Amino acid sequence: MPKVLIVDDTAFMRKLMKNILFGAGFDVAGEAENGKMAVEMYQQIKPDIVTMDVVMPEMTGIDALKNIKSIDGNAKVVMCTAIGQEKIVKTAIKLGAKGYIIKPFQAPKVIEEIKKVLAM
Amino acid sequence: MTEKIHLRTPAKLYDGKWMDAELVLGDETLAIGNKRIPVKEVEDIDNVEIENVSAIKIKKDGEIIIKPPEKLHAQVFRFLSFNLKADRFAVYFLARATSGGVVSAGVQWEKGYFSVTEEGLWFLSPKKQERIPLENMGSVEKDVRNVGGQQRMVLVLSHVEKGSVLTSLIMCPETTLEMVNNYLQRLIKSHKPEIELTEEEKEILTLIYSGLDSVSIENFIGVSTEDLNAYYDRIVEAGLANVVKIRKEIELTPSGISMVDKVK
Repeated sequence: MPKVLIVDDTAFMRKLMKNILFGAGFDVAGEAENGKMAVEMYQQIKPDIVTMDVVMPEMTGIDALKNIKSIDGNAKVVMCTAIGQEKIVKTAIKLGAKGYIIKPFQAPKVIEEIKKVLAM
Repeated sequence: MTEKIHLRTPAKLYDGKWMDAELVLGDETLAIGNKRIPVKEVEDIDNVEIENVSAIKIKKDGEIIIKPPEKLHAQVFRFLSFNLKADRFAVYFLARATSGGVVSAGVQWEKGYFSVTEEGLWFLSPKKQERIPLENMGSVEKDVRNVGGQQRMVLVLSHVEKGSVLTSLIMCPETTLEMVNNYLQRLIKSHKPEIELTEEEKEILTLIYSGLDSVSIENFIGVSTEDLNAYYDRIVEAGLANVVKIRKEIELTPSGISMVDKVK
């Protein structure tokens, strides 16, 4: 069962993502509410995949992505961006993000994207 | 002076049932059966399916449904869409540039018109006649995009179709762009439901959008079925959702109970 780390500054969005992924059989191994926490938790739990919000306090998702990729070049990070953040998506892909999910989420699309990145 | 006739063909008219009628499409008038519609007064049109038949719905003092022969359908639709009673702007457009955040394959910038009717927005070119119902419009904002290697100011229209968010782009001289932007902002605002949602109601909308069923939503936010139904009523009344299924709660009759008793 693939381990997932969910990163989002909103508790509601974390809970929703957790609900969707848990329902699809993923192991939600951890939740972080900002980029700094995400980098620390990544090293501890070594997840198979990370869902990373972009706009967060302390450390943005883009900076957290950079940090995680410097720790583990093979890290699989899927960015969660709001509609109209196409520029951020491009930056994230250049920095090594493996996919992206548009907020608000639709469960089938989230699962499809995560499975695609994990090549399931 | 006699009106120029573009098309005269047998067609069908729907009035509770399909009836044979002659369709005559002139420069100024569309006539079908005993109905005559001044072309410039057609308020909007749409492709519809009635009793498994693809047809054109024409809005002018109510609705008229016509079915031209298959091979002439596109021609009639194109003629009417270019002649709608609408505000029309000459633009370059990229309709359905992205769908669900993914860049659509094969779409290209086209030179044509952006047309605004009472009920919809239209992207019109000789090849394309795309309609966005006003109720499907999300937002309009200005943004800078790379168009043909140059950074250009464009209008980004977000709209919804079959549950997916699509974006379309409009490019035109900056003064026109500003005018179209202001016009659309006012239009969208006037069509937005006049309701101020609470945080809980916004969360419920998000959960419905994400695909959670009612029982999951109750557990997620910790409300009873009655409370959730009250939220649903308000959301439906505000025109933000439609009822698709009514839940049933039943209790067993004595016969039902005796059946359970037999289950080993």
